[in-house]
Amino acid sequence: MDARRLKDSFSKVAMYGDEVPLFFYSDLFIRNPDVRDLFPISMRAQRDHLLAALGQIVSAFDRADELSAFLAGLGRDHRKFGAIAEHYDAVKDSLLTTIEHFCGDEWTPELAADWNTAYQTIADVMIAAAKKDEAVRPAFWKGSVIACEHRSFDISVLQVRPEPRLDYVPGQSVAVESPRRPRLWRYYSIANAPREDGTLDFHIRLVDGGSVSMALTQGHSVGDEIRIGPPVGALTLDTASGRDILMIGASTGLAPLKAMVEHVAALPRQPQVHLFFGARYADGLYDLPALEKLAAEHDWLNVVPAVSKDLRYKGETGSLPDVVTRHGNWSGHDVYLAGPTELVNEATARLTAAGTPRQQMHVEDFGWSES
Amino acid sequence: MTVAWHEDQKRLTPDDVQAATFPVSRLGRRGYDEESVRAFLRDVEREIVTLMNEKVALWNEVERLRRRIISGAKSNGDGVLFGKEDAHVHAVRILSNAQLTADRYVADAQAYSHRLTEEARSRRDEILSQAQEHADMILEEASERAREAAIASLNSPTVASSSPQLESDRSALKAELAYLRAFGEVYRTHLRAYTEGMLRSIDEWERREAQSLEQTVPDPPGAPGLGGNGSGFR
Repeated sequence: MDARRLKDSFSKVAMYGDEVPLFFYSDLFIRNPDVRDLFPISMRAQRDHLLAALGQIVSAFDRADELSAFLAGLGRDHRKFGAIAEHYDAVKDSLLTTIEHFCGDEWTPELAADWNTAYQTIADVMIAAAKKDEAVRPAFWKGSVIACEHRSFDISVLQVRPEPRLDYVPGQSVAVESPRRPRLWRYYSIANAPREDGTLDFHIRLVDGGSVSMALTQGHSVGDEIRIGPPVGALTLDTASGRDILMIGASTGLAPLKAMVEHVAALPRQPQVHLFFGARYADGLYDLPALEKLAAEHDWLNVVPAVSKDLRYKGETGSLPDVVTRHGNWSGHDVYLAGPTELVNEATARLTAAGTPRQQMHVEDFGWSES
Repeated sequence: MTVAWHEDQKRLTPDDVQAATFPVSRLGRRGYDEESVRAFLRDVEREIVTLMNEKVALWNEVERLRRRIISGAKSNGDGVLFGKEDAHVHAVRILSNAQLTADRYVADAQAYSHRLTEEARSRRDEILSQAQEHADMILEEASERAREAAIASLNSPTVASSSPQLESDRSALKAELAYLRAFGEVYRTHLRAYTEGMLRSIDEWERREAQSLEQTVPDPPGAPGLGGNGSGFR
């Protein structure tokens, strides 16, 4: 197999942009009509993902270790989408047809053989990873929505009972699919530590134009059977560090932090935890009563609410990074941050400038795994 | 097979060319030689007729080939112009176009719903801040009126009393009572009027939202989910 030749042919094909995945999926669906059901109505995002993933695979072709880790993740991820081993052959046929179509005269038997071998290698890694994963856990969990509580204009708290029981570490998140928006998955943090009855809380902000958040929180979502992917994410408590803890949660970024606070409560010895919870307006502090109750029960927990847009607010006002840095020096703390990207980035930069080492900071990160 | 150009009245026809006349230029001014123009127009007319005939012939040829492709899928005979693979590519194109149309519908619906919620959000912020200002105004006015009432009650003559100390206590209490009564009343009246106004707006809002959602929003679509699309805070 000639990696150089492969890369060259791919970069030529990739010049056609969106045409390429468009052709690929149409070819796949014409030959395998059943497979269409595994995809959402709009394929626009899907096509971008395919081209990006292909590009990533082809460019990493000579870095086998990195590539196989990526592919194994991809293989496991595809279980919840309903991909099975047989689909891989169908995809191969369509992929080769697509590349042949766009290569035109430059498509040779040697190049065909290269692509064939390359694809088989890729598929083998993905299938093997999926198979290994199959022995450990289901492709997805079914979840019944048992409560949906509107807490503010655009924030709801959803309670879900998964079936079977879903084990996770507090701070992790899961991909969720609503039956009202088939084949669209979105990541949400679980907002509680594991409970005896296994129920999960999700804090969901209604995104403007967001299809899944709307489906989950609007209308009569109670009773809906949703699907839940396996838990992911590395924003979990470092219980070995011995340092006190600073938590910064903006809006529904509170969710993973609240789960971690409950985790701390279950530890034999608790570090001091300072939790800053910020919103634009006071009504965005949608879970403050519950947090204050927790703080009243535990002397190691200090909760500081802050509001950025309403200066009449009786508590702390100003941007969350401002409020946090006003409250002292945090260089000796482990820091856990979650919230809108710009806010998280600003807070990280400010804390770094004030001397908190990078490795003590833990930020929400989903990486590439959703594709 | 009918010919498309028969229906197309606006286009230049050979007859138009033949019937074309031009005003004669005034004496002494420069102009084209009339016979040359006529000759040229005859050429143009001939050319248009030729083109139209060619177009009809080509159109008929296209139709003939199209029929052969369709029947070719069944007969598999020598007469098939396109191979099976080309027919497949044709099918792929058709499905691709259909998919792009669907994508556009979804994207439009999503954009619409985005605009709708965005507007609702900013409208809400506006209403809240107006309400806050209004509340401040009510409070201020009530407090002002109550102060006036208290002063009035202090100044009003009172019945005889046992001691000056008791008397002053009493009038102070009376003044405070008058203040509170006046304050409470003004505040209640304003608040009632304001709340009723708000309730009416909310009813109207709900009614309109229900209508517009029923009419205009189809099943909304998906957005990208690759990588850090965020979690709960999306």
